Amino acid sequence: MTNRSARLRIAALAGALALALLLATAWGSVALPFNGILGALLAKLGLASDPSTLGATGETILFTVRLPRVLLAALVGGGLAVVGAVLQAIFRNPLADAGLLGVGAGAALGAVLAVHLGLASTVFFALPLAAFAGALSAVLGVYFIAGASGRASLHGLLLTGIAVSALAGALTSMLLVATEEFRVKTVLFWLAGGLDGRGWTHVQAAAAFVLSGVALLVLLGRPIDVLSLGEDEAASLGLPVRATRLSLLGLAALVAGASTAVAGSLPFVGLMAPHALRPFVGPLSRRLLPAAFLGGATLVVLADLGARTLSPRFELPLGALTACVGAPYFLLALRANEGRG
Amino acid sequence: MSAGELLLSAHALAVERGKRRVLSDVSVELLAGEALVVVGPNAAGKSTLVRALAGLLEPAAGEVRLCGRLLADWPRDARARVLALATSEEEGPDALRVAERVALGRYPHRGPFQALRASDHAAVARALEATGIAALAERRLGTLSAGERQLATLARGLAQEPRVLLLDEPAAHLDIGHQLQLFRTLDDVRRRGVGVLAVVHDLARAAQWAERMLLVAGGRIAAEGPPAAVLASEAASRAFGVRIRGHAVPSLPHPHYSFEESP
Repeated sequence: MTNRSARLRIAALAGALALALLLATAWGSVALPFNGILGALLAKLGLASDPSTLGATGETILFTVRLPRVLLAALVGGGLAVVGAVLQAIFRNPLADAGLLGVGAGAALGAVLAVHLGLASTVFFALPLAAFAGALSAVLGVYFIAGASGRASLHGLLLTGIAVSALAGALTSMLLVATEEFRVKTVLFWLAGGLDGRGWTHVQAAAAFVLSGVALLVLLGRPIDVLSLGEDEAASLGLPVRATRLSLLGLAALVAGASTAVAGSLPFVGLMAPHALRPFVGPLSRRLLPAAFLGGATLVVLADLGARTLSPRFELPLGALTACVGAPYFLLALRANEGRG
Repeated sequence: MSAGELLLSAHALAVERGKRRVLSDVSVELLAGEALVVVGPNAAGKSTLVRALAGLLEPAAGEVRLCGRLLADWPRDARARVLALATSEEEGPDALRVAERVALGRYPHRGPFQALRASDHAAVARALEATGIAALAERRLGTLSAGERQLATLARGLAQEPRVLLLDEPAAHLDIGHQLQLFRTLDDVRRRGVGVLAVVHDLARAAQWAERMLLVAGGRIAAEGPPAAVLASEAASRAFGVRIRGHAVPSLPHPHYSFEESP
């Protein structure tokens, strides 16, 4: 692959994301006209002086409901896809995902704990913060339990991740049973994954972690590539394997944890986007990670548009939607993977 | 660099895996431009030796020196510019192209952030050429045979432009044509002053290629010397549990070997 054709493909992905963002901003229970959106955005940025044609209601919908939600979808989708791509390289498995490290299960436990204790309804932003803390604790737990027996082998990490996820899931169920009924609904909506009612605070919180984490991961692209050759070869090329892996897993946990904290669990996003794009831009991280960010962002922006608009009566859970698309994709990818190996 | 300069040396080296001592009291020296072959039965500790010499395993006792300096005292990147390791187990991602994989051998020279320069691309091209896989440069690893992947690993090692090249069964998956080409490549490399140490399973091939042979058995060095002498030794017969006989063939530069199960 020449650099030029890879750059063209990444530019095409950026174009697709821009289009998806515009569509998702325009469509919804109330449709907003494209030129009205662009006018209002330009006016907001101080680039146009004309009052927008959207009207006060339209502007309110655009700036307090639609725009934060659409941007959050892009951040979360992009973040999860980049994390997936990084973990697939580190674990040398094209089907790896943040869930393997306990991110989803840990976040769920944190969220349920916040709801159970009643913090979610009394303390501002308690649920996402608790979910974030839960996700990070789970990954840290997995890393140090797996590493306790000496050096953390990849195999050991994966199996420990399964065990820690199962334990967190069990604690989550027990807490749910013990939680007052009127609170359970809050947490069920969060567990199903979705962006309903998310505002600018969520966007800012997610952006801080996702954008800085993704930027650092892209910067560390070459060490990621060296690590994807296997531990022995990476070490023989002079890479400090353990320190590099710990930093990458830490960054991945921050990005995936922040994404999951604001959007709940969105299964298969981290798997689908990099897997689908690898044949087009290659596996080298400096190209794959930006491509995965754009592809994952587009995927979740469109999935969230579907969640809002597919049913006229109620909103579909976004996580259920990504799972409905992702699970068959995963099974097909698995078959292709096994068929070749 | 002067031919015969001592590049790599182990002294009284011991290595443990878990609590088990898999290598004891191994001393070995590798000179510039030398071809040293390591042979031995399965589970003798050959791969452990190569990995310990490459600094991937900590010695439990003894020491390894590279150019006179303790292996552990080398900065990682500097060490990787002097010493390269290629094993038959390494595999990159299936979607990676051969040229991209070989270019990762320039990591010790450019580090995580510097862009590759013309000299790096030239080193990659030379390595692809030397291993005979220049035509595969744009192929993805997943589409290659095991032997072709192995040559790509060797090319990555050559692209490092090391002074010491350590190889663990470099010919494991190669057909006879590629085997001959591989050993010719290794000869070219050592003629430029690189010290080459290789674990080779095929005793006859090992004897043909190397100047010096190291027989490892039971985690210790059982014999060392010119290949013909090592293979003729009682230690070799005992280590493999076979009778090894060399037959001089007037028209060939090397003896022909025959192997029979010991009674």
